[in-house]
Amino acid sequence: MVRTLGWLTVAGLLAGLVMAFGVAPREVTQGNVQRIMYVHVPLILASYLAFGVLALASIVYLIRRDAVADRVAHASGEVGVMFVGLGIATGSIWGKPTWGTWWTWDARLTSVAILFVMYLGYLLLRGTIDDPERAARYCAVLGIVAALDIPLVHFSVYWWRTLHQPPSLMKPGGFTGSSAILWPLLVNLLAFVLLYAYFVARRIRLLCAEAEAAA
Amino acid sequence: MIADNWTFVAAAYGLTAIVLLGYWRRLAKKERELEALSRRNAERRRAEPSSRPPLDESPLQQHPRP
Amino acid sequence: MSYARRALAVAWKDLAVERRSKETLNALVFFSLLLLFVFQFTLGGDRERLAAVLPGVLWLGFVLSALLALGRTFLVEREHDCWEGLLLAPGDKSAIYLGKLVGNLALMLVVEALVLGLFVVFFDIDLGRAMPGLLAVVLLGTLGLAAVGTLFAAMTANVRARELLFPVLLLPVQVPVLLATVKATEGLLLGEPLGAIAHWVKLLVAADVIYVVVSVLTFDVVLEG
Repeated sequence: MVRTLGWLTVAGLLAGLVMAFGVAPREVTQGNVQRIMYVHVPLILASYLAFGVLALASIVYLIRRDAVADRVAHASGEVGVMFVGLGIATGSIWGKPTWGTWWTWDARLTSVAILFVMYLGYLLLRGTIDDPERAARYCAVLGIVAALDIPLVHFSVYWWRTLHQPPSLMKPGGFTGSSAILWPLLVNLLAFVLLYAYFVARRIRLLCAEAEAAA
Repeated sequence: MIADNWTFVAAAYGLTAIVLLGYWRRLAKKERELEALSRRNAERRRAEPSSRPPLDESPLQQHPRP
Repeated sequence: MSYARRALAVAWKDLAVERRSKETLNALVFFSLLLLFVFQFTLGGDRERLAAVLPGVLWLGFVLSALLALGRTFLVEREHDCWEGLLLAPGDKSAIYLGKLVGNLALMLVVEALVLGLFVVFFDIDLGRAMPGLLAVVLLGTLGLAAVGTLFAAMTANVRARELLFPVLLLPVQVPVLLATVKATEGLLLGEPLGAIAHWVKLLVAADVIYVVVSVLTFDVVLEG
């Protein structure tokens, strides 16, 4: 089953590339550099999915103490951090020619950066605890705290950037969306969600095998 | 005409490909190592004629409740 | 022993230990003085720049002190082999959390009052009109820091690289509290009415409620072993 998922993912990614470079038009205000959006946005959105799954799996683990739930959280955390890190990097690469700067402290970037560091801490916590049962428990607690923190982060950063401040610079996403851009974006989004599912499934399988080998 | 900045596009897509491929290869490598390890364990167990008590409900799927 | 009685017992024990040894308090006071001097060296001459960065600098001082205080909150149990005692404590272990929280709050507020006092004296700041609002903001912000800090301190108490992991885990989660307190303090010091910073105060209240409730509900899980 993991293998089918893998092949589906490859198909999705290829379709995404075709859409991003063959079908999607050359953007009027930014030029072809806007095509970075077709990896940047799916990466970020897929990472949100990953962190959502992490939160749910953490709750399930605390209630049922099912090791599989812990492994789902673990795998989802790994893939989520990787995706959001790549999302930030690609966003930065997109920002340099369009904004003229590698980084700006606007609301969205700041929030995503905080997210990245929070869940990187989650992975660090996992790495530091050797006992798998304690690691599962502690990470579940941290996962829940982090998830509840996300709306707080969102509002505090948003208010910080928008109140008593002139509106922030034009974001890379600030162009008139059209269906010509929407479809490539959706295809790529689906491809990255498939990639997330594939990575997580394979990682969970590996975690189960590792646990058995250690027994 | 606005510059196209293809180098930036290449950098973004290239970095993404490298990292994702790297993770995929890391998974594959760990799976291979684990496979080799479990094969060695199975061989060792077959070599020893001593019987092992059968495992009841796998302790791996359920962590002890408080 | 009733729940509240147990919580108060923990708080009282911590404060009594602190009162006798004054280890943490001394470290924090010394640290705060150091901060004060460094800020004076870098910013003292330029009053305008100082006024602009004062809220951030003040809360930086509070946060760094908080990290020190919270990082040590389970030190006594760890060093004197009392950790198992915590694990084996009967009844709802969240009473221990609340006790630790109250103790940490008391310690942190004392240090913050000291830091604030020093800043007022050495940087000649007029707090007058801002005071009641400032008091509320400091209380709410400190509660937010202490609430999650006590939980994370328990989580990191027995792991490797504890001193590194604790701030790494705590600070990103505390960004909303830091943002809210700094912006609210800034507003208050600029003489803005309470209404102008009301949304920050509401955020702090929401954060505090979330943090305390989650910590109370999950502390038992952390102290399972």
